[in-house]
Amino acid sequence: MSAYVVVAGDAGITEVINAAVKVGGPVTAIVVGSADLAQQVAAPGVDRVVWLGDPGDKPIEAYAPAVGALVVAAPAPVLSGRKPAERVLLGGAAAALQAPVVSSPMDVRSDNGQTVVEHGVFGGIALRTTAYDGPVAIVLDGGAAVNGGGSAAVEQAAASATTSMTVTSLQPNTATAADLGSASLVVGVGRGLKAQADLPIVEALATAMGAELGCSRPVAEGLEWLPRDRYVGISGQQIAPEVYVMVGISGALQHMGGCRGAQLIVSINTDKDAPVVSQSDYVLTGDLYSLVPAITAALS
Amino acid sequence: MKIVVAYAWAPDPQEASVGADGQVDFSRAKPVVSEYDAVAIEVGRQLATATSSALVGISVGGPATGTPVATKAALSRGLDEVMVASDAALADAGTTRTAQGLAAMVQRLGDVSVVLTGDSSVDSGSRMMPPVLAGLLGWPVLSDVQKVSVTADGVTVERLLREGVQQVSVTGPVVLALASDATQPKAPGMKDVLAAGKKPVTKLEVADLGPAVAEGTVVSTAKLTGPARKGIVINTADPAAAAAELVGALRAAGVIGSTGGQA
Amino acid sequence: MPFQLSDEQLLTRSAVREFAEAEILPIAAEIDRDHRAPLESIPKMGAQGLLGMIIPEKYEGAGSDYLSYMIAIEEVSRVCGTHGVMIEAHTSLASYPILHFGTEEQKMEFLPDLATGRKMGAFGLTEPEAGSDAANLKTTAVRDGDDWVINGQKIFITGGGYAKTFVVFARTNPDVPSHKGISAFIIDRDTPGFTIGENEQKLGIRGSSTTPLMFSDVRVPNSRMLGQPGQGFEVAMNTLDGGRTGIAAQALGIAQGAFEAALKYAQERVQFGKPLTTKQAIQRMLADMSTDLAAGRLLVYEAADLEDRGEEYAIPAARAKLFCGPMASRVTTQAIQIHGGNGYIMEYPVERMFRDARITEIYEGTNEVQRLVIAKSLLR
Repeated sequence: MSAYVVVAGDAGITEVINAAVKVGGPVTAIVVGSADLAQQVAAPGVDRVVWLGDPGDKPIEAYAPAVGALVVAAPAPVLSGRKPAERVLLGGAAAALQAPVVSSPMDVRSDNGQTVVEHGVFGGIALRTTAYDGPVAIVLDGGAAVNGGGSAAVEQAAASATTSMTVTSLQPNTATAADLGSASLVVGVGRGLKAQADLPIVEALATAMGAELGCSRPVAEGLEWLPRDRYVGISGQQIAPEVYVMVGISGALQHMGGCRGAQLIVSINTDKDAPVVSQSDYVLTGDLYSLVPAITAALS
Repeated sequence: MKIVVAYAWAPDPQEASVGADGQVDFSRAKPVVSEYDAVAIEVGRQLATATSSALVGISVGGPATGTPVATKAALSRGLDEVMVASDAALADAGTTRTAQGLAAMVQRLGDVSVVLTGDSSVDSGSRMMPPVLAGLLGWPVLSDVQKVSVTADGVTVERLLREGVQQVSVTGPVVLALASDATQPKAPGMKDVLAAGKKPVTKLEVADLGPAVAEGTVVSTAKLTGPARKGIVINTADPAAAAAELVGALRAAGVIGSTGGQA
Repeated sequence: MPFQLSDEQLLTRSAVREFAEAEILPIAAEIDRDHRAPLESIPKMGAQGLLGMIIPEKYEGAGSDYLSYMIAIEEVSRVCGTHGVMIEAHTSLASYPILHFGTEEQKMEFLPDLATGRKMGAFGLTEPEAGSDAANLKTTAVRDGDDWVINGQKIFITGGGYAKTFVVFARTNPDVPSHKGISAFIIDRDTPGFTIGENEQKLGIRGSSTTPLMFSDVRVPNSRMLGQPGQGFEVAMNTLDGGRTGIAAQALGIAQGAFEAALKYAQERVQFGKPLTTKQAIQRMLADMSTDLAAGRLLVYEAADLEDRGEEYAIPAARAKLFCGPMASRVTTQAIQIHGGNGYIMEYPVERMFRDARITEIYEGTNEVQRLVIAKSLLR
């Protein structure tokens, strides 16, 4: 067996490499991004690094056909992270290989020449184990960044990007981009908060803990109190912190699917019958407007 | 010129129930045009009106996808016509098989400038369908699209990414996956409901979609169980005491530092 | 008689539910608390086609069937009884008589504005001494050249605060038996001498702007008479026949909303270590409520279906209203009971639904009047 790891401008692929190693070596990383990134990707577990180039004024997505052409020459399972450009490059590979796609794997292994994936279905409401005879495209959370230290040399491949797309401008995010996925402490806020003006109460707790601030989907998408990259859920950020403090979040399936990996869950909610209560390690039933400031005070 | 919207007629998994053996029962969950796809249709409507293009919905799915109530529901959201392939053989089609069917439809329609999709499908959520569809068509694809405007030879797209707001100009046909908040979809009006039944519906057979791609073999299913939680209830009669108890417990567990902040 | 709803009727339900949950539900508690008429909802409901459902497309209506219209009232009332009656009174009581008794000129002049919600309509029949006994009305209209001069007072007029077009009943001939001397008029809000009183402070449907109307030498051209001289009582009674189904649908929707709230509460609320739904007493109430709703829905849909098919519907409509009004009071009471103490406070919606339901036993013909109508048809 062999496997491909597709890298799209971001070294956060530790989990992708781990899964690729389980599928079976040799592992070939296909990299779109800077030369430095290609060097970083040459990490333990990676046997070969193929660098397709620096996209310059092209979006990384413009390399999807090049990735497809590369993998179709020697078909094998292809893995990538879940970020937008990673998914597009993986899609290019899946299309070229006519390969099925599987997401949210809990476990991956090679068995008798088959790739066997244990994965969530329908947004993670149930588990399924599926065996694939031929190549398969696997999309998963990338995990922490890798930084070289492996033995593979970087080979540059002659690849060209689709010429029909050009990045004409990028206004960098002024706010620091949320990095909930790798945060070890997260405070999440839900619709139990009565008004956007009350956000500082929860922000103060996050600051006192040194935690990232996350939220439920309605807070980001309906109310737009926080940016969309801060909502935790099956369709949003998947987090696995050491502690997740849920403030005014009832704990719908969609949300809990995004924080299943948390080591400890603390819930602060007025409703002692909310679904989150049975899925918490510490339950504080009461008014968040008195409890949250009290916890903030207790921390300092 | 045609603008195409790929949509799914699917139930929301949140309304499904999962048996002890991990079998998912959708019998009590009603299929709908998901809110993500409704965003794509709404943006498509605006683009089609601005460019005097026809707005065509395409969908691949199980038998329910082709029922009159399903096609009318999609049409009532502002599509001019729909093309559907619905068959029991497509009910559990994976991303690649679905994308293959959609690609066959786009090629059959011809003269398509843009294919729009929702942010993700409610029933799988992997957000892989647009990239695979584009790969099969040999078209470029961009996700997380906030705004689209049509130019002389293509489109200009604004995307909200982690890195910031990115503008991309695209020449020629393209697949665009819209961000879930690209627009606020409106509920169909009463006139839209009545007009839906008068719009054209084209039905394709499974054979029209090309040979099926290999799918994996399901080895087993299971109910998803989260890690066991402790369920310790902290008395909140006195908020300060409750806070002290919680912070003490978290410090004892070594997950936060002794003076606040991260351990 | 089993009902198989058409695709369009099913889609009407899902489309109106989507609209109501997005645009009406968020303000339902607030307008009730503040006794505020939700004027911002009027253009929104107009754009959805909800203010001209049964008006033909020729007059800018949606041209839906009557059953679809009932489903729309049911769905809106499921989240807010006030909005339900706003649609119902505007459509069934003001637009309907113009559509059925108006001249082509009157229809072309008034219906497009009503059907799109550019102008809201209201129905002025009830007087201080003429409630159920409508034929006893005292408002007079006296002929003066090409005009009629109207004097008198109306009370409890739904939408009085925001309506622009009023269908008003007045006595034009005092010398014939009381119900034969009444005529109907279409009157603009801005007509000199026509004044609108203060909103009543009500138990429920608090946003629907219920006001008195005062007429002091209000001159209305003869071209604004609706129907023939002396036909007013027939216009009013025919209008109210159809209105009954609308109020029954409102009651049904309020009850449905309360039932769903109670079911959800019972599933989530844990007492004595188990969800409420495990208690037989609660199960029994839920079973009774769902049976009540199913029966009421059949009665409403049957009356609407008869009207759609051009058949006699007045008695089925009276039965639907007689059943659904008390049914809504019953179901909302049970919903409060399931909620326990929480049902009695404004944090939960069921106390509002309970208050909103009560009026459906009273307006557009009390329970007692419906019984009279039904009994009369049995004994004739």
